[in-house]
Amino acid sequence: MTTKDILPDLLSSWEETYKKGQLTLWIFLALKDGQKYVDEIKKFIETKSNNTINCEEQSLYRNLRKYQHIDVVSFENKKGNKGPDRKYYFLTNMGAKLLEQFIDRNINLFFST
Amino acid sequence: MKNLSNSNLLKFSLTTILLTILFRVGLSTSLTNKMKIAVIVCAMGYTIIMWFNGYYFGKKEYEHLPIYNIGFRFHLSTFLAHNMVSIAWFLLAFESKYESIRIIYMTALIWSGFLLLHFSYFLTKRKSTIRNLDKEDLFE
Repeated sequence: MTTKDILPDLLSSWEETYKKGQLTLWIFLALKDGQKYVDEIKKFIETKSNNTINCEEQSLYRNLRKYQHIDVVSFENKKGNKGPDRKYYFLTNMGAKLLEQFIDRNINLFFST
Repeated sequence: MKNLSNSNLLKFSLTTILLTILFRVGLSTSLTNKMKIAVIVCAMGYTIIMWFNGYYFGKKEYEHLPIYNIGFRFHLSTFLAHNMVSIAWFLLAFESKYESIRIIYMTALIWSGFLLLHFSYFLTKRKSTIRNLDKEDLFE
């Protein structure tokens, strides 16, 4: 197997590993951008990640319930275009601080050297 | 503990009560009529259906919110529901003449030992949680 042959597989394998654990960051970034309901969060993540991160709505709901439980995310009901009220999620003060500190410790270091 | 839905636990407990009543009816009837096979079928049927009962509602509860003590809460609920129905069965004199309430007390005593073991495991696991969610399962 030549380098050219295995390079896509290596990249794909590395990306798979890299993507694990990214969903929380993307959800938080979506909510930092402003209050959103689940479909908007999904679209934000897919658009901003150039479709490299795919997330199921079920998975988003499950994560949001956990974040609500630990008080980093909250929601308020607002009227949707049609049908019942939608839950608009947002970061609480603690959630915003958590994201800020996470970015500071784990993301900013890429730009500080 | 906000956002913690107990509806699955409640449905599980109600199903457990219903299944235990059916088990008691089947067991007492089988014993009264000396139907050994029916006694075995009742016991095995009860065990298998109870397993599915726990699996179904436990999974639903975990998918809703993976609180670390789901297993213990369901275990405690089973213990209470089963033993309360069984004791009530005797107090209401529905038992067969071949059944003794001492068996119920002995079972509850042995079972409470396992429940205490489960409780100690629950306390140990608690240290690795944040607001009852497993630290390793918190962020994805």
